Amino acid sequence: MTRLVEKRTVDMQIIGDWVEPHTRVLDLGCGKGALLGYLMQSKQVTAIGVDLDFHRITACVQRGVTAYQGDMLGFMREFPDRFFDRVICSRTVQELDQPAAVILEALRVGRTVTVGFVNHGFWKNRLAALVRGRKVRNEIYTTEWFESRPANPLTIADFEHFCRAKQIRIARRALLAGNWRTPRRVLPNLLAGYALYDLTR
Amino acid sequence: MPDLDDVSAAAGTVPATGGVGIVTPRDFVHDQPFTFQSGQSLPGFTLRYETYGRLNETRDNVIVICHALSGDHHCAGRHSPDDRKPGWWDNLIGPGRAVDTDKFFVVCANCLGGCVGSTGPSSLNPATGRPYGISFPFVTIRDMVRSQKLLLDHLGVAALHAVIGGSMGGMQVLQWGIEYPGFVRRLLAMATTSREGAQAIAFNEVGRQAIMQDPAWNHGDYPKDGGPRTGLAIARMMAHITYVSDASMDRKFGRRKKADANRDAYTFDVQFEVESYLRHQGQSFINRFDANSYLYITRALDQFDLAQAYGSLEAAFAPVQAETLVVGFTSDWLFPPEQNRTIALALLRCGKRATYAELETDLGHDSFLLESEDLYTLVRSFLERPTAVEVDFNI
Repeated sequence: MTRLVEKRTVDMQIIGDWVEPHTRVLDLGCGKGALLGYLMQSKQVTAIGVDLDFHRITACVQRGVTAYQGDMLGFMREFPDRFFDRVICSRTVQELDQPAAVILEALRVGRTVTVGFVNHGFWKNRLAALVRGRKVRNEIYTTEWFESRPANPLTIADFEHFCRAKQIRIARRALLAGNWRTPRRVLPNLLAGYALYDLTR
Repeated sequence: MPDLDDVSAAAGTVPATGGVGIVTPRDFVHDQPFTFQSGQSLPGFTLRYETYGRLNETRDNVIVICHALSGDHHCAGRHSPDDRKPGWWDNLIGPGRAVDTDKFFVVCANCLGGCVGSTGPSSLNPATGRPYGISFPFVTIRDMVRSQKLLLDHLGVAALHAVIGGSMGGMQVLQWGIEYPGFVRRLLAMATTSREGAQAIAFNEVGRQAIMQDPAWNHGDYPKDGGPRTGLAIARMMAHITYVSDASMDRKFGRRKKADANRDAYTFDVQFEVESYLRHQGQSFINRFDANSYLYITRALDQFDLAQAYGSLEAAFAPVQAETLVVGFTSDWLFPPEQNRTIALALLRCGKRATYAELETDLGHDSFLLESEDLYTLVRSFLERPTAVEVDFNI
């Protein structure tokens, strides 16, 4: 396993620990359905993924993951309150046009919302920006600014400020060091590379 | 509503090699009374059908293909070696193809009310010795499905691996899942709707008026080789436009004119290639389709509204047990992506397993007949995926 893939599986394992068995889980930006496939097998969840790309939906079908091709906000608006036990937004939040609208809508349709993101406040990212004076590029974000989607990099401090401003309760958090394995509770905005939250209303 | 005359034109040429080879249609004669949803009944009926592949020992490797408005049971292979064209979904169905006849036993029947061998308004009424005409019972999508089920019972089928169809065929797919939930494992509906909308009804009505205003229609009473040929051709010309798109028509014809058209620009004779193409579509259609069948089947489409029939779409889908895949096509303006999404969303709200995929094409409604590796891969994945979930960490 490459380090990158290892990092992704760490993400999956933590979310897997948080997910209750036999629940209904929605994954926003589900990609090829790897996380949902894992949760279906490890927690016997009822899984639904949303993604914009036809080929990724095909990959979900290959895995046996139920998926919907389309806009995630439009999708969620079709469902009643608390329809899902958990809505997952793992490494998707930084790509959204309307992150607040998506998270608030997820909190309406889901009892719990799991948000995971790479902390752009991590010291290496800060240093890289400071020293190189360029957009951060690393093993996760490999592209030049002009090759990538519109991205909206965020930090742990940004995200927790957002939760306070919107009166969203942080029920649980996992803040991991740069290796995405060791917990990092001290000065997380500077020392944590990856952050994962469970949000509730 | 696949356009049978234009499959190869819209989708490129289908290779002559491979495929299911030479096929022979068969007739299933049901000799018991059959009561239609309307309450009317027939003493019995015939369905003409074709099968490809082999039924397995457990009699459950069966895939039913449902055809669209102008389609029929001949969806793959050729009837004779010198047939000009294969069945209408030959690109999808065959050994090693997306619907793999090495694995599955494929059944496709001409629908009840049709005119290609199954009992319909052009069949002889045993009571009068004349064609039924408009005394034929009104047909619904549900009647079509119920009659197909009798055929499958006759064939000794234990369960359906899948039901697949586009357009009107997609409506039948949904109805299959509702009507026989324990019998069907996978539903694959493409370019379809759960509710025929006003625009689609409007187009059907124009077609019907073209037929019924033709004096030769004569209230549905016409000899086998006669009838409202002009009206039916016009209905087909108009309907054909709804199966394609602005972009695909313009790409195919643009404003190109017939070679001899420039001499006389100021006449109403055919000048543009698109005109002669549509006339050809109309002419070839009247040689293979019955006008009364056209009336009956378009009426069946108009009547299709699952939400109304069951109280709500969720109530309609409540009994469904099958896993569903709905495929919409971006340029389909007859049954637009939105109407296909609605189906998947309602199923999901009912807690059913349903996937929605949308293919970007500019070929309009007939896109479901497209030769597309992307579509093939999706269909194959849906049909062949084993039920057990395997973990794969490759993202």
